[in-house]
Amino acid sequence: MSQLLVGQTLNGVIVGTLYGIIALGVTLTFGITGIVNFALGEFMMIGAYVTWYLFDIVGLPYPVAILPAVAIAAGCGFVADQLLFRFTRNNLINGLLVSIGLISIVEAGALLLWTTTPKDMGYVLSGAFRMGAVSVPRMKIVVFALLAAVMFLTYASLSRTWIGRAAYAFSQNPEAAMLMGVKTEILQSGVVVYSTALAGFGGALYASLYSLEPAMGGLYILKGVEAAILGGIGSLIGSLAGGVILGVTEAIGSIYLPSAFRDAYGLVFVVAILLYQPSGLFGTER
Amino acid sequence: MKVLLWVPFFIFPVLVQSNFILTIFIFSFILAIAAVSFNLIFGFTGQLSMFHAAAFGIAAYITSLTVSIFHVPFWAGLLPAICFTIVISLVIGSICFKFKLKAFYFAVVTLAFSELARLVILNWNSVTNGTLGLMVLEKPFVWVPAAGLVKIDGPLSWYFFSLAALILTVAVCWLVLRSWIGRCFAAIRLNEDLAQTLGIDIFRYKLLSFTLANALAAIAGGLYAFYTGYIEPNYLGINQSLDIISMVLLGGRSSIIGPIAGAFVLTGLPHIIDLSGEARAILYGLVLILTILILPQGVIGTLEGWRRAA
Amino acid sequence: MRRLICLAILALLASPVAAQNIVKIGQIEAQTGANAIYGYMSSQGLALAVDQVNKAGGFQVGGKTYTIELIASDTRGDPKEASIQLKRLLETDGVKFVFGPFLSNVFVTIEPYAKQFNGKFLLMGGATRIHDFLGTPDHDFLLRSWNWDAGPKGFGNLMVDRLVKETGAKKIAMLFQNDQGGKVLVDIYTPLFKQKGIDAQLELFEPGTKDFSAVLAKLAAANPDFLFPSYSDAHLYDIVRQATEGNYFRKFFLVRGSLGPGLKNKGEIDDYFVYVPKYFEEAEKTDPKVAKFVADYKTFYKRDFPYDQAPLCSSSCYDHLFMLIEAMKKAGSVDDVTKIRKELLSMTYDGLWKIRFDERGEEIFNFDIVRMKRAGQISVTSVDAQ
Repeated sequence: MSQLLVGQTLNGVIVGTLYGIIALGVTLTFGITGIVNFALGEFMMIGAYVTWYLFDIVGLPYPVAILPAVAIAAGCGFVADQLLFRFTRNNLINGLLVSIGLISIVEAGALLLWTTTPKDMGYVLSGAFRMGAVSVPRMKIVVFALLAAVMFLTYASLSRTWIGRAAYAFSQNPEAAMLMGVKTEILQSGVVVYSTALAGFGGALYASLYSLEPAMGGLYILKGVEAAILGGIGSLIGSLAGGVILGVTEAIGSIYLPSAFRDAYGLVFVVAILLYQPSGLFGTER
Repeated sequence: MKVLLWVPFFIFPVLVQSNFILTIFIFSFILAIAAVSFNLIFGFTGQLSMFHAAAFGIAAYITSLTVSIFHVPFWAGLLPAICFTIVISLVIGSICFKFKLKAFYFAVVTLAFSELARLVILNWNSVTNGTLGLMVLEKPFVWVPAAGLVKIDGPLSWYFFSLAALILTVAVCWLVLRSWIGRCFAAIRLNEDLAQTLGIDIFRYKLLSFTLANALAAIAGGLYAFYTGYIEPNYLGINQSLDIISMVLLGGRSSIIGPIAGAFVLTGLPHIIDLSGEARAILYGLVLILTILILPQGVIGTLEGWRRAA
Repeated sequence: MRRLICLAILALLASPVAAQNIVKIGQIEAQTGANAIYGYMSSQGLALAVDQVNKAGGFQVGGKTYTIELIASDTRGDPKEASIQLKRLLETDGVKFVFGPFLSNVFVTIEPYAKQFNGKFLLMGGATRIHDFLGTPDHDFLLRSWNWDAGPKGFGNLMVDRLVKETGAKKIAMLFQNDQGGKVLVDIYTPLFKQKGIDAQLELFEPGTKDFSAVLAKLAAANPDFLFPSYSDAHLYDIVRQATEGNYFRKFFLVRGSLGPGLKNKGEIDDYFVYVPKYFEEAEKTDPKVAKFVADYKTFYKRDFPYDQAPLCSSSCYDHLFMLIEAMKKAGSVDDVTKIRKELLSMTYDGLWKIRFDERGEEIFNFDIVRMKRAGQISVTSVDAQ
């Protein structure tokens, strides 16, 4: 039983980092542009499909395939920002609804291009590490390492570089930041593009683990939002922590309680946190 | 004078005999009830609630189950459904508003509760038959002064029945909104903190708005269940909530009847314009985006704006 | 859009000598949405068949030449949409032949309305719930275009028997999606397993789940012989991969879904036992009709042939249009539905599948049992359904 627990906790942590990268995108977008970009799941899907296409169909090596995938996801993010999100800054409801409209369009586009038949990418790294009865697939470990690295890098660069400080200042007091010479428009667009790039990267890694279908983004944005809230919107480390906690809660819950309610365990936890500590576990009150 | 707008609806079925078109209208009326009631909490009180579809779905289930298990008429099933919806709205609303959840978090928590309700209904197989859903074979009976007890079965009777329900809903909303309650809602929508300093009990009015909106949605749920003849857990799904939100946005959230136009367009348009599924989804997304960015007042709102300006 | 294309084709084919007679065929399937996999192949196959019939100049019944107009509606899996669409098909368009639906919740919602048109049209769908209504009064319009799992001749029965005989399995773990399809499978197979003395454990998962580690670990804890996983490839690829990677299961038993997931993980699998309406990869090499179908599909749609989904074309799809036309010819009419139904029930059609209907209107067709053992050795057993 304890080996089951250990194995599932490890898996929950890994699955949680995938939630975490989306949560990071959510938290960054909310902090700097004041909206929740629900379409991040779609950018993740774009990253996944492009990676699949380049790896399976064109035949590029996997690490090489990831780069254009992230670039394309980010490019689409830029277009979406210029056409849509630029007009919904700080308007939560509008931003939410516009992103829902965007989801419809992107998903329909994916259906037209690739149909509803799921695509299963060729295995990049197969096999698993075995420690007793606990088995952790090698690719999952790689994915975990890469995602965690990117998240830490983001955190580090935001707390040390000029851009980071500008962003922090902006999130505290937009007018003052602007007066101090922070180019707010570029900052906001930049954050949107970066968060979509993160989502695209998450998607590229997702493709090496699971099958792809146009509707895949829906689950991840919901979990990403939950994780961001859990960790505290505005806290970058919180998004990783929130994702991991969510992943582990779901895994453990599924073992001891009916797995049909898997999604509920995370939800209940999130609601409980929201009621008792609205700023989340690591966040500061916004 | 606005009452005159309803007259065409009464004449319509006499002119148009097509069952197909009447069906679209009936679905539109019922969903319009859900949309108009949603606008109470969303457009007028400014809170984005994701619980609306849950109220709709739960009421659908309670009405159908009460009628089929206890063999009572439709109204005897609808009443417990509305009561239960009120109770659960009070509970959830109290939790949310007591903790002073602001816009985004309120949406998330109501979404969480909505999903929990859906999961419960989905997995409570002994009662709800879970994912297989339940067929609803009974029909409502209405006492009409001239005709006695009329069975609501068939397009014409459903048409007038749902139209009557819609008019009732609109009337209730109108009465509430033009009273001081409505003004409190508006104050909360415009500036919550200011409203509080003016002495308005935010908690009480938000709760009232939320509960009333869900209670009306319950009526829509009961009607929908009996008209479609089938209920399933998807009635409580996120997509249903999003559909209702779209109807309100499209029609306009600043008027009571705006959402009705939205309901008609979103229900009827896919059947008038023959498009592939994907093309329709793209159109839906575009409509949503354009309404937000270009026509923030929705169709009705913009028309009203022009009328006032003219 | 499809309607316009069909009308355009018809206009082009019109010759001054042949009469412009049109037979309308309606289709109600979920082409998009959560469960679109089922309607997808049917809509693809039917459109291809209609195109082929019309391109060949139509078909002749009673001395007149007819072409087909296909009115395909996408229900998106929403019963409300389907009820509006069916009303339009039957009342506004005057359609007498409707293909679909595959989804049970859609069927159950349109059934009361469809019943009012008993004797005026034919509805041929793959939905599992149709089985319960076949043969009941006022349901002559109904036909089911899919094999029935249960019952003494059911393929489910056959599969489980074989499983026991060939592998001696005593314990099975069932992992299904928590939706209509999954539920129906639970209802059919739990008693079947009990009957044969097999210990069956069940876990359900939410649609959209991608990571099955937790639930696989839970099931594996009881040490079952075989895993009996969900019914659509969307999940099968993930389930089979994660089951083998995590060392939870190496033996799989399937009654829906394809060999694809098995092949992809063949080095890790000890036994993969699957019912497939047709194992297209093999059939393409041995059956010229199948080879032609695959080639035609690729030309018409200009994309790869979906081998994984193709088995679903055994329901209200390609063959069924030609079967319907043959029945019309035998009946000598394109609108006498009672006569046409009688012909359908008394004929055997030999196309991609060998199809016939039982006395209740439920389809019986031949299928394949594919078994893959260690190192990827595959054995295909074709079962003739009669």
